[in-house]
Amino acid sequence: MKEKTYKLSVFRFDPLVDTKQRFVNYKVPRNEATTILDALLYIRDHLDGTLAFRASCGQGRCGSCAMHINGKYGLACETTLSLGNNIIRPLAQLAIIKDLMVDMERFWEKYESIRPYLVRHSGEARQSYANRKEMDSMIDCILCGACFSACMMTGMNPDFHGPAAYVVLNRFLKDERDTIHDQRMELVTGENGVFRCHSMYSCNEACPKNVKPSENILEIKKNIG
Amino acid sequence: MKKYDLIIVGGGMTGLRAAIEGVKQGLHVAVISKVHPLRSHSVAASGGLNAVLGKKNSEEDDTDTLEKHFQDTMECGYNASDPEALQLLVDRAPGKIKELERWGCLFSREQDDSIAVRAMSASSFPRTVYSSDKTGHVIMNTLYEQCIRLRQNKPDLLRFYDEWFVHKLLVYNNVVSGIIALEIATGRMEIFSAKAVIWATGGSGKIFGNTSNPLTNSGWGLAVPLYAGAALRDMEYIQFHPTQLSGSHILITEAARGEGAILLNRKGDRFLESYSDSKEYKGLSARDVVSRNIQREILAGRGVDASSVYLDLRGLGSKHIKTKLPGVRELCKTYANLDPIRQKIPVNPGQQYTIGGISTNEKAQTDIDGFFAAGECACAGVHGSNRMGGNSLMETLVFGEIAAQSAGAYIRQKHYRLPNKVFFENALAEEKNKIKVLLENEEGIKPAEIRKRMNDAMDKFVGIYRDGMGLVEAGQIMKELKNIYHTKMYIDGKETRANFGLIDAIELKGSLDIADIIIQSALRRKESIGVHFRNDFPSTKGRPRYSLVKVRKNKMKIRHMAIRTKSNPLIAMFSDPRS
Repeated sequence: MKEKTYKLSVFRFDPLVDTKQRFVNYKVPRNEATTILDALLYIRDHLDGTLAFRASCGQGRCGSCAMHINGKYGLACETTLSLGNNIIRPLAQLAIIKDLMVDMERFWEKYESIRPYLVRHSGEARQSYANRKEMDSMIDCILCGACFSACMMTGMNPDFHGPAAYVVLNRFLKDERDTIHDQRMELVTGENGVFRCHSMYSCNEACPKNVKPSENILEIKKNIG
Repeated sequence: MKKYDLIIVGGGMTGLRAAIEGVKQGLHVAVISKVHPLRSHSVAASGGLNAVLGKKNSEEDDTDTLEKHFQDTMECGYNASDPEALQLLVDRAPGKIKELERWGCLFSREQDDSIAVRAMSASSFPRTVYSSDKTGHVIMNTLYEQCIRLRQNKPDLLRFYDEWFVHKLLVYNNVVSGIIALEIATGRMEIFSAKAVIWATGGSGKIFGNTSNPLTNSGWGLAVPLYAGAALRDMEYIQFHPTQLSGSHILITEAARGEGAILLNRKGDRFLESYSDSKEYKGLSARDVVSRNIQREILAGRGVDASSVYLDLRGLGSKHIKTKLPGVRELCKTYANLDPIRQKIPVNPGQQYTIGGISTNEKAQTDIDGFFAAGECACAGVHGSNRMGGNSLMETLVFGEIAAQSAGAYIRQKHYRLPNKVFFENALAEEKNKIKVLLENEEGIKPAEIRKRMNDAMDKFVGIYRDGMGLVEAGQIMKELKNIYHTKMYIDGKETRANFGLIDAIELKGSLDIADIIIQSALRRKESIGVHFRNDFPSTKGRPRYSLVKVRKNKMKIRHMAIRTKSNPLIAMFSDPRS
């Protein structure tokens, strides 16, 4: 009897060696894998040890394995293998280090540029129940980079902060304990700021944690207007 | 060669807390981490962290006290906790919560704006602070945010090396002098000299197959200090969490039971109540007891299938689940295609926490000068022989800070000694050569096959129930696998650049060595206590003792030592060579 397998076409490219990007086909036994990550690990363990990709927690919490899977962004560890061909690409808009491993530096740099930390100089800071409740929907962001890759504007404008950074920004704008609300707003009102977002909702679609960056960006815009 | 005052290995909760304190001490700090800090497994911690906040229990009209936190932990760990270390944890816990709040941490709150607490197992009082069931994620973000703030304000004091893999801990005449690390993206190996090093590499669960630990927790984090001469303590104490989602190795937080979920057998009975040892505690039974009783229930043929029982959240109601346990619901939907609001969750016990680790005193000092360790990779004896839920997250914060304070004092007292350039260069050449040798074989056995056999043996023989015969067999398997590793193993890619297969293979050596130490430590402890249960020695022997492993010239030596008592400072002084 023929062994049942999942089929995968995986993006391979080593910029220091290869002249061309290519897709390599693999077959993974069905009893060895449920998720895309299981299959990628199987490939690395048994078929080709040189396949480069990031992974860690395997349960959708760490954000390491965001990639482009069958036409959609998602976490490899959370996405079930499909019975057809599974086409795996790296995150877009970011330079490729090798295969599915991209250079996240630009993403982190944007995140850090919005000053993602509470600024408060005196005494204790007690948050109210109501204020904490407002943040329920935004704390789920795991900074996986899927929205950043899906966003057309981050591709066109290197100075645009990107959806994830704005989610974090909005979290601090809303925090009643923070003391630099005005400075934060100045950061994003310029011509490369929040109004560069044209509300195409690509980030919402890409987000594996259902954080809805678009809504956060709209809230920031309203804050300005 | 890069030079720092303090190198912190690991960017999880312990490492980040240590980094913040290191900068406060005025030290030049580098954090070296195999993954970006926010990818560390601390982010997956769900339940919460224990601190006595002086809350009143409305039903019973009593107040929580530090003594109760101390006593609960002592009892849960079967009096095998180090009293000095535990006292520090208990005393400093409330301050750590306030500190996180000052840094903007988003804890869950009560309607009166106070910080919410929930009950976890084996505690006499609800004292676990949380943020729904995403506590680790929320705290990690807060700590990392504070690190960014420090870096933006004092750019020369704090540096992060993300995705650098530490290959060697450098020790010269029992004094630490730095590390050698490999940058994963480029394959470049580099020397980092340091006056002090803090180890914060977390757990080692991936030695087991049935574990909720991440891919990164290979055991390498314990192996590197071991190779440099550090002693490991209590390595036989491996904690098995009762409720891992069946078929996925994903943990369902104990907070689920804390919030009111119950365990059921195939017949729908609350079977835990039928075991006499389940009622030792007022609230939820401790994890060791629950895991053992689930296993007994399954062996008696009353499991849902060959390895599971049910965790039932349905009684909590939709609203409660959505606000207090949204992450649990999300995990069940994604990985088991079920909704716990309406359906029971099949669960089984699985490896969760490495209680043992690098032996330290309550100041996070090891027996190598200038080398400190904290968090899950360390063992100061806080958890005794059975960790209480909610104490380990707090341990990372308390002892991460203490480790950096100790490192600061050590550096200021000029106890460090840095060897000359030749020492570093020779060490680098030696490590490069090790990798070259590892890449030599062109064919043979793949690392994954060795890993699979190791995982199977650990699951089968070193699980919740152990016995001498099985442990001996497991030991023989490890011996054989180590031999295969050094003679027949081969790696596909021959480059060091972005070669995760190579990193896996390097770590596998550590996994095998640590697996063997766990097995030998379990074999040596001829009694049952806490998480360590021996079918052939089912009772506890006299006063609890801790075990200490050292490897010298490839020979493993295990000793059992008396745990110091708090009431007698003289014993404390003599039993601990460092104080």
